[in-house]
Amino acid sequence: MPADFYEEEDFQGQFKGNVFKRILDLMRPHWRWVVGFLICVIIVSILDAYFTYLSKQIVDEGIVGKDINALQNILVKYGILIVVQAASVFGFVYMVGVLGERVRYDLRQTLFNHLQRLSLSYYSRTPVGWIMSRVTNDTERVAELVTWGVLDSTWGVINILTSVIFMLVIDWRLALIVIAILPVLFYVAVLFRQRILEQFRKVRKVNSKITASYNENISGVRVVKALGREDENLREFGEQTSAMRKAGYRAAWLSALFLPSVQIISAVGLGGIIWYSGATVGSGTFSIGSLQAFITYMTSMLWPIQDIARVFAEMQRALASAERIFSLVDTTPEIQDKPGAIDPGTIRGEIQFEHMYFWYEDELPVIKDLNLTIQRGETVALVGSTGGGKTTIVNLLCRFYEPKRGRILIGGHDYTDLSLQAIQSRIGVVLQTPHLFSGTIRENIAYGRLKASMEDIEAAAKLVGADRFIQHFEHAYDEQVGEGGVLLSVGQKQLISLARAVLSKPEIFIMDEATSSVDTLTEAMIQQGMEAIMQDRTSIIIAHRLSTIKSAHRILVIENGQIAEMGNHAELLKLKGKYYNLYTRQFRFEREDAYNIFKEDSQTNFSAE
Amino acid sequence: MVQSKKGTADFDLKEAISPNRLVGLWRLMRGYQLDYTFATLMQGLSAASKTATYLLLSYFVDNYFLASTGTYPVWAIAASFVAFAGLQGYFTFLSGKHAAKTAEGTVERLRNYLFDHLQHLPFSYHAVTDTGELIQRCTSDVDALRRFYNDQAIGIGRIALLFVVNFIALLRINTRLALVSVIAVPIVVITSIYFFKKVSKAYEAYQEQDAILSTTLQENLSGVRVVKAFARQTHEIEKFEHTNWEKFKRGKQLLTIHSLFWPISDTICGFQMLAGFLIGAMMAIRGEITVGNYLAYAGLVVWIIYPLRGLGRLIVEMSNALVSYDRVFKIIKEVREPLDEGNYRPAEGLHGEIVFKHVNFEYSQHEPVLHDINFKIDAGKVVALLGSTGSGKTTLVNLLPRFYDYTSGEVLLDGFDLKCYSRRYLRSQIGIVEQEPFLFSRSIRENITYGVGRNVPLEEVEQAAKMAAVHDVILSFPEGYRTLVGERGVTLSGGQKQRVAIARTLLKNPRILILDDSTSSVDTETEAQIRSAMQSLMHDRTTFIIAHRIQSIMNADLILVMEDGHIIQHGTHTSLLREDGVYRQIYDIQTRIDTELEEELSSAS
Ligand SMILES: Nc1ncnc2c1ncn2[C@@H]1O[C@H](COP(=O)(O)OP(=O)(O)O)[C@@H](O)[C@H]1O
Ligand SMILES: Nc1ncnc2c1ncn2[C@@H]1O[C@H](COP(=O)(O)OP(=O)(O)O)[C@@H](O)[C@H]1O
Ligand SMILES: [Mg+2]
Ligand SMILES: [Mg+2]
Repeated sequence: MPADFYEEEDFQGQFKGNVFKRILDLMRPHWRWVVGFLICVIIVSILDAYFTYLSKQIVDEGIVGKDINALQNILVKYGILIVVQAASVFGFVYMVGVLGERVRYDLRQTLFNHLQRLSLSYYSRTPVGWIMSRVTNDTERVAELVTWGVLDSTWGVINILTSVIFMLVIDWRLALIVIAILPVLFYVAVLFRQRILEQFRKVRKVNSKITASYNENISGVRVVKALGREDENLREFGEQTSAMRKAGYRAAWLSALFLPSVQIISAVGLGGIIWYSGATVGSGTFSIGSLQAFITYMTSMLWPIQDIARVFAEMQRALASAERIFSLVDTTPEIQDKPGAIDPGTIRGEIQFEHMYFWYEDELPVIKDLNLTIQRGETVALVGSTGGGKTTIVNLLCRFYEPKRGRILIGGHDYTDLSLQAIQSRIGVVLQTPHLFSGTIRENIAYGRLKASMEDIEAAAKLVGADRFIQHFEHAYDEQVGEGGVLLSVGQKQLISLARAVLSKPEIFIMDEATSSVDTLTEAMIQQGMEAIMQDRTSIIIAHRLSTIKSAHRILVIENGQIAEMGNHAELLKLKGKYYNLYTRQFRFEREDAYNIFKEDSQTNFSAE
Repeated sequence: MVQSKKGTADFDLKEAISPNRLVGLWRLMRGYQLDYTFATLMQGLSAASKTATYLLLSYFVDNYFLASTGTYPVWAIAASFVAFAGLQGYFTFLSGKHAAKTAEGTVERLRNYLFDHLQHLPFSYHAVTDTGELIQRCTSDVDALRRFYNDQAIGIGRIALLFVVNFIALLRINTRLALVSVIAVPIVVITSIYFFKKVSKAYEAYQEQDAILSTTLQENLSGVRVVKAFARQTHEIEKFEHTNWEKFKRGKQLLTIHSLFWPISDTICGFQMLAGFLIGAMMAIRGEITVGNYLAYAGLVVWIIYPLRGLGRLIVEMSNALVSYDRVFKIIKEVREPLDEGNYRPAEGLHGEIVFKHVNFEYSQHEPVLHDINFKIDAGKVVALLGSTGSGKTTLVNLLPRFYDYTSGEVLLDGFDLKCYSRRYLRSQIGIVEQEPFLFSRSIRENITYGVGRNVPLEEVEQAAKMAAVHDVILSFPEGYRTLVGERGVTLSGGQKQRVAIARTLLKNPRILILDDSTSSVDTETEAQIRSAMQSLMHDRTTFIIAHRIQSIMNADLILVMEDGHIIQHGTHTSLLREDGVYRQIYDIQTRIDTELEEELSSAS
C-alpha cells in the first residue's frame, strides 16, 4: 500500500464512549439473542463453580462421613446438573455463534452498501486492499468482540465471583488469602497482555504489508516476469517475512511466558493454603474436602483470568477495528443527491459548462474556466495531447466528480440538483481503460441493460463488430472472459465494453478512446453503426485517430485544461493552429512516402517463407 | 533466535506433498522437527510435574490430616508445591518457545515459497486464477497452518502426554479405578472423529464461500468505475447480499455442528468423571484406598477427562488446518515454469535474427490461435504486425520471451531453437512495452528502474524518461520523480502510463524490443516525439511493433498482416501496397482521410 496512512494503524485503545454506544446499537436488534446466551453462560459458569463445591461434599459428607446415602444424593444432583450444563452449553454456543455470523453479515452489508455510494475520488486515494481489509478483517474482529468476547468475559467474571462466594462460605479466612492474590494476578496478566499486544501490533503491520506485496506481485506478474524481477522481489519479500517471524516469535514467546508466570503466582497462593491447612489441622476447622475445593478453585481461577485478560487485549484491537468501520461508514460521499434532488425523466437537452474549474487532490487546476455549450443531439470530439484533461471533462460530465467552481447544466438544470441515478443511468460511457467483470461475454454486455434479451445483446455486439470474433469462440457468447477480461485481447475487451454501452441505449453517449486498440478495418466497419447511434443523441468522442473525429459536428482541442481551439474539421484546418499541426504532421509525414509507393523494392535482406 | 537461513528456500516444499496430510505437515517442518519433538517432550515433563503435585497432595492429606506421620515440616510441603508449579511453568514455557520457533520458522519459509512459487507459475495459470482467491490462500490459510503448529499440534501432544502420565499415576494408585476411568476414551474419540468429518466439510464450504465473497467484493471495487458509469449500485448490492447471505447460512451450518458437538462431548466426559467419583468414593469408604488417594485420584482424573474433552475440540479445529493444508498445497502442486531450463547462451551476445517455421499455438485445446506462422527477420531489423482485433498479434510476440511455449513448429533465434535458451536469459534480452501497462504502487523513479537489478543514477533515469517523452510531465508533478503512483497508477492518465512503461523498458536496454500497441493512448504529436526518440533506439535492435496506424509501421523492414491467427500478407510497405489485399484496404481507409485533408488544405489556401 502506497502511503503510511494506510498501514494498519491502531488507536491506542482509548475508550471512546461513542464507539461503545455504536457497537451496542449494532446489537440492539438482536437483544433477545444476547440475553439468551448471557443466561446460558451464567448458568454454565455458576455450575462450574458449584461442581467443585459438590466434589468437596463428596469428600466431606460421603467419604470422610462414610455416608453412602449422602454420596448417592450428591452424585444424582451432580448428574442432573451435568445435563443442565450441557444443555446450556448447547444454548450459548449456538446462540453466540449464529449471532456472530449475523453481526458479521450485517456489518459487511452495511459497509458494502455504503461503499456503493462513495465517490470515485475516495477510490482513487484509497487502495482496494485497504478497503477489502475493512470489510473482511475488521468486521470479523468486531463481531468476535460482541459475541465471544462478551461471552468469555461474562463467564470469567461470574466464575470468579461464584468461586469467591463458595470459598467464603467454606472458610472465609482462607478465602481472604486467595482474594488478596487476585489483584496481583490481574495486574500481572494485564501487564503481560500489553506487552504481547505491542508485539501483535507489529505483527499486524507487517502482515498488511505482506498482503499488499502478494497482491501487487500477483496482479503485476506479467511485468515481473517480463522484467525478470523475481529474485529481487523475493529478496524484498524475504525482509518482510523475516520481520514477521521475529515479531511473531516474540509475541508467541511472551504468550508462552504469560501462563507459567500466572501459574507460579497462584502456586504461591496454593502453598499458602497448604501451609494454613497444615497449621490448623488440630483445630478441625478445615476439612479435607475444603482443602481439595480450595486447590481446585485456585487452579481453575487461572482460566477466567486468562480469558478476561485476553478479551481485554482484543477489545482494544476490536475497538480500533470498529472505529475504522465507523469512519468508513461516516465518510460522506463527496458527491451525493441533494435533498429534494429531482429526476426530470430525461436528460436530453443542452449541456452547458459555465466558468468551470476543477482540480484533483493537489489543488493544481486541471480544468480552467471552461465555457462550452453542447447542443442537443450534437456530436463533439475532444482532441489534444495526453494529460490535457479530456478524461477529466468526461469524469465531470458523468458526475464522477463535480466542478470545484462554476457549474454544469443539463437541460437547463444545474446538474447537482438532479439525482445521480437520473444522470448516470442515462449516460452511456465507454471508459478509457476497459474493465470487464469475470463471467461470460453475455453477462458483461448485459451489464448495460440487465433485462436485455439475447437478440438485443447480439444486435449490440454486431453493431460494434464484436459478433464476428465472439462466434469464433468455442462457447460463443458464453465464453468466460477471466478476471478483468484477461482471456481476451485488449481490442476485444474494448469492443465488448462498447457493446455494453450501446446496449444501454443512453441519452448521452461518451467514448473515451474507446477504440484505440481496435484495428482500422473493424473501426471502419462499425463507423456507420456508430454514426447511427450518435445520430439522435448528444455524443462526446475522445480519440486520437482522425478517422474517428473528423465527422464530428464540432472539434475541441484541449490543451492544459482549456479549450485551445474549437470548430469543425475544415474550420480548424483553416486556422492553421494546433489542430492543423497535430494532424498535418501525420499527413506530411506520410505524403513524402506516398510519392515513393511504386519505387522498386530495394530491400532484400529479409524474406518470408 | 532462529537462523534466518532457514527462512529461505533450503528445500523445495514440493517434497512435503503427501497424500496423508499429517505426514505432509510433518515434512513441512523440516529443520524444525527436533525443536518440535523437544517442545512436545517438555509438555510431558510439565505434565509430570503437575501429576507430582497431586501425588504430593495425597501424601500430605494422608500423613498430616488423617494421621500425624509426616516427617517434613509443613512449610517444606508448601514450598514443594510452589517448586513443582515452578517446574511445570518452566517446562511449559520451554515448550511454548520451541513450538513458536517452529511455527514461525516453518511459516516464514512457506510464505516465501508461495510468493516465489506464484511469480514462477506460468501465465496460463494466472490467467485463470482469481487474485483474491490466491491472496486468501496465502494469508488466511497460511495463518491457519501457523496456528496448527503453534497451538493445535502441540496441544495434541500435550494431551496425549498428560493422558499417559496421569494414567500411569492412576494405575499406581489403583488399577481397577484407573481402568474404569478411561472407558469413555474410545467413545469420545469416535464421536470426535465423526464430528471431525462433518466439521471438515462444513468448514470447507464456509471457506469456499468466504473466497467467493472476497472475489465478489474485489470485482466490485476494481470495477467501481463501470458500476458507477451504469448506475448499477442496486444490482451490485443485490449480488453481494446474495453471497453474503450464503456465507451466513454456511456459517450457521458450521455452528450448528459445533454447538452439538460441545455438549455431547461434555456430557460423555461429565458422566465418566461422575462414574469415577462414585467408584473412587465407594472404594475410599470401604477403605480400599486412602482418602489422600481419593483426593489425588479426583485431581488426576480431571486431568485425564479435561484433556480428553479438549482433544475433541482440537481434533475438530484441526480439520481447519487440514483444509487449509489442501488449499495451500493446491498452489504448491502447480508446476513452475523453469526459468533456467535451456543452457545455450551465445558467447558474444545475442544478434537477434529470428525465424518462425510452421509455428502453431493454442491457449487451450480445440481453440488454435496461431496457425502455421512462417517468417524470417534479420538481426537489427524491424517487424511490424498489423491485423484485426484478436487475430493473435499479442499472442505471437508473447512466444518470444517464452511466456507461452508454441505447440508445434520451430522458432529459431540466431539459428538456435528458442527452447535452447533459458527463459531468464531471453527475458533479460527482450524488452516489452505492454498494451495495458501495469505500474506498481511505488514512486515513478522506482517504477522506471524496476527492471534493472542495479542502482541507477538519476541522470540515466531522466534520460530514459526524456526518450519516452515523459520527463516534462514528471517534472510537472510537485514531487517529481518521487511521485507515488497510486494503485494501478490511477493518478496518471492513460498516455502517461504508457510512456512511463516505455521509459522502463528503455532503461533495461534490451536486444530485442517489443512494442505492443504501446502508443495507442498517445496523441499523434507525442507519438511523433516518441518515434523519433525510438528511431535511434531501434537502430541495431530487432524490433517488433504492433500498431494500427500505417504511419507507425510503414518504415518497418517486414510487415506481417494477420487475420484469425494466419499471416495473410507479408512484405514491405511498398510491396504490400502493390498487392490487392487487406493492407491496401487499411491504407486506403487511412489515406482517404488524408487525401481529403489534402484537398481541403489546398482549397483552404
Ligand atoms: N484521479 C486523479 N487524481 C489526480 N490527478 C489526476 C487524476 N486523474 C488524472 N489526473 C491528472 O490530471 C491531468 C489530466 O488527466 P486526464 O484528464 O486523464 O488527461 P487526458 O484524458 O487528456 O489524457 C493529468 O496530469 C493527470 O495526471
Ligand atoms: N490468456 C489467454 N487465454 C486464452 N485465450 C486467450 C488469451 N489471451 C488471448 N486469448 C485469445 O487469443 C486470441 C488472440 O488474442 P491476442 O493475441 O491478444 O489478439 P491481438 O491480435 O488483438 O493482440 C483472441 O481470440 C483471444 O480471445
Ligand atoms: Mg484520457
Ligand atoms: Mg493485442
